Amino acid sequence: MNNEQIILACVDSTAASDAVADYAAWAAHKLQAPMELLHVLDRHVELTAGQDHSGAIGLGAQEKLLAKLSEEDEERTRAARETGRVFLNRLRERAVASGATSVDTRLRHGEVEETLAEQQDRSRLLVIGRAGSTASNQGTGLGKHLEWVVRSVNRPVLVTTDTYSEPGKVLFAFDGSSVTRKGVEMLTGSPLLKGLSLHLLMSGTSNAQSQSQMEWAVQLLKKAGMDVTSEIVAGGPQDAVAHALRTQGFNFLVMGAYSHSPLRGLFMGSKTSEMLKDAKVATLLLR
Amino acid sequence: MSLHSLRQDWFSNVRNDLLAGLVVALALIPEAIAFSIIAGVDPKVGLYASFSVATLIAFVGGRPGMISAATGAMALVMVSLVKSHGLDYLLAATVLTGVLQVLAGWGQLGQLMQFVSRSVVTGFVNALAILIFMAQLPELTNVTWHVYAMTAAGLVIIYGLPYITKAVPSPLVTIVVLTGVSIALGLDIRTVGDMGKLPDSLPSFLVPNVPFNLETLKVILPYSLTLMVVGLLESLMTATIVDELTDTKSNKNRECVGQGIANMATGFIGGMAGCAMIGQSVINVKSGGRGRLSTLVAGVVLLILVVFLGEWVRQIPMAALVAVMIMVSIGTFNWGSIKNLREHPKSSSVVMIATVVVTVATHDLAKGVLTGVLLSGFFFAQKVGRIMRVTSKTEDAGRTRTYTVIGQVFFASADRFANAFDYKEVLDKVRIDVGRAHFWDITAISALDKVVLKFRREGTLVEVIGLNEASSTMVDKFAVHNKDGADDLLLGH
Repeated sequence: MNNEQIILACVDSTAASDAVADYAAWAAHKLQAPMELLHVLDRHVELTAGQDHSGAIGLGAQEKLLAKLSEEDEERTRAARETGRVFLNRLRERAVASGATSVDTRLRHGEVEETLAEQQDRSRLLVIGRAGSTASNQGTGLGKHLEWVVRSVNRPVLVTTDTYSEPGKVLFAFDGSSVTRKGVEMLTGSPLLKGLSLHLLMSGTSNAQSQSQMEWAVQLLKKAGMDVTSEIVAGGPQDAVAHALRTQGFNFLVMGAYSHSPLRGLFMGSKTSEMLKDAKVATLLLR
Repeated sequence: MSLHSLRQDWFSNVRNDLLAGLVVALALIPEAIAFSIIAGVDPKVGLYASFSVATLIAFVGGRPGMISAATGAMALVMVSLVKSHGLDYLLAATVLTGVLQVLAGWGQLGQLMQFVSRSVVTGFVNALAILIFMAQLPELTNVTWHVYAMTAAGLVIIYGLPYITKAVPSPLVTIVVLTGVSIALGLDIRTVGDMGKLPDSLPSFLVPNVPFNLETLKVILPYSLTLMVVGLLESLMTATIVDELTDTKSNKNRECVGQGIANMATGFIGGMAGCAMIGQSVINVKSGGRGRLSTLVAGVVLLILVVFLGEWVRQIPMAALVAVMIMVSIGTFNWGSIKNLREHPKSSSVVMIATVVVTVATHDLAKGVLTGVLLSGFFFAQKVGRIMRVTSKTEDAGRTRTYTVIGQVFFASADRFANAFDYKEVLDKVRIDVGRAHFWDITAISALDKVVLKFRREGTLVEVIGLNEASSTMVDKFAVHNKDGADDLLLGH
């Protein structure tokens, strides 16, 4: 069944898309799966420039406006389409050069979140950059679509950094939750992280429950033939993960993502977004 | 409704929505006043209505970016009710209209819009433009030349200013300039203040002061029904226009319910019934408004402006309003439709013109649309009725003749169908092949019966073959000739 499931790499015209293609090619190589480079032409129909505040409507106002708006849309789409094809082809060549065997491209109209929600059924892994061309990189350093993309899909999402670095040392932020437990099970069955060194990190007080959860995960992963170490450190998950990333040279992070409702995130801030912001390495988000 | 679409509807276009909402609010003020005057109520009734409808629709409407407020179409319906029974009955009728619209939305009546053809929509829009224009005429008759000069100057500013700058709404500049001139010169011309009360406070909840009995219902129900129909028609038409302009979808049934909720609430704060506005929605989209925020801003800003600038609003000369309303009328009219009169099929043009004529004659958009819809149906039946052909050829050295019927047989083509057979021909057997025909109604079936019986009377054996599924259910239900007992009536089967 997995043969049909593809690695879906979401790219745009920014330089960071090179890294997206590289990571997708890496995953495609590891998983022996076909990959597809997807670019969505989002016309942002709701964002059309409104420079005309005259408020006057004359002869054929409605017809003229319709003609003008559709002409603008047409022009924008046509230009975006051409550039889209150009960089999709360039990225395809790049992915093939870095070892992916089957690389396809797809250019679609629509909104990013909507498109991915539709396309995810064909995919086993989504790869996406931290910030797209539409993001103003001030503040969070995360694209405005990212949280909504991750929320709208139920597949693991690999969030990439601006430059590619071959995953070698992997940090797994394990918290014993059902999402990360499922993540452990998934990793045992998947060749994605095989051959890499995996460090399970749990934060909080070390007690019988956390130890047994950790023991369970380590045993399972070892049985699958993985090189596993584990550690339980005091403190909050955010600090613990940030500290480990800073001091121990990990270049790949695995963690659960957005398990709380978006409403809660609105008021409390999202832990996942905070951690993503801090993490300067490629991050696999488990859903 | 997902949080994503909530965010999309409200906050995806904040800057443009705020600006567009502002432009619309400024344009709504003269319109709301003008429509109150059409309806024969104080300007405050239309202004409160515009505030309330616009604000509520922002939350409950089905078409983000569409502007709803007090409208000319609705005002025209109310005139006689206000004249005969007064404001309180209008408020009660407004509430009832809201209730009916909610029911219509729940009953998915929005679907009925599919029977309103493009020609009827064009006719509706044109009739509306003509009525808005005609409503300005009283302000232009028996007045001094000052008024004509002011109105003309207003139109020059409205259409001239955008050539210089599109940063400020030209209708607003018109109103400010003309009001200034009128005050400076101390002109003795009619102003908004002369037309009735303006709001001096925020609206408050009130129950219409009418007796709650059957008599009242009898008075207001006919008006509410018409208001419901007109309001939903214009709202759904406008929604379609905005859909088209922005290349996005809307939820028509939600819009019906939303209009209903907005009208119910509006009646309770002393506002007249409203609906979506074609002209204002076009202005909103043109100014960059796309989300619900634009509608909300339009409503709220309108109220703030009116309540706090009431003293200034009072002094706006009617001539300035007339100029703005002429603009709305010109902008609403579908000028392309005049050119299309010659190019489009005659029946479409007749439907369009009939809609306009009936509406303008009765001042009732509902009657106009009904006329248009009936005429379109009539023309359609006539056209489809022409798609029916009967051919025949003989076999067995002239003993048998096979008639082949192709096409649509129903009330409009049944006579032609029955007359296509030669009953006087001497034959042993007639075969009627209807395999490629459709029998739609009992008129068609009885025509087939008539044909069969006529042949049998001449002693001819009749065989009907190829009755397809659709036709044969009709035949089974209604026909005489192949039921038990029918044989007795006939000369052999």
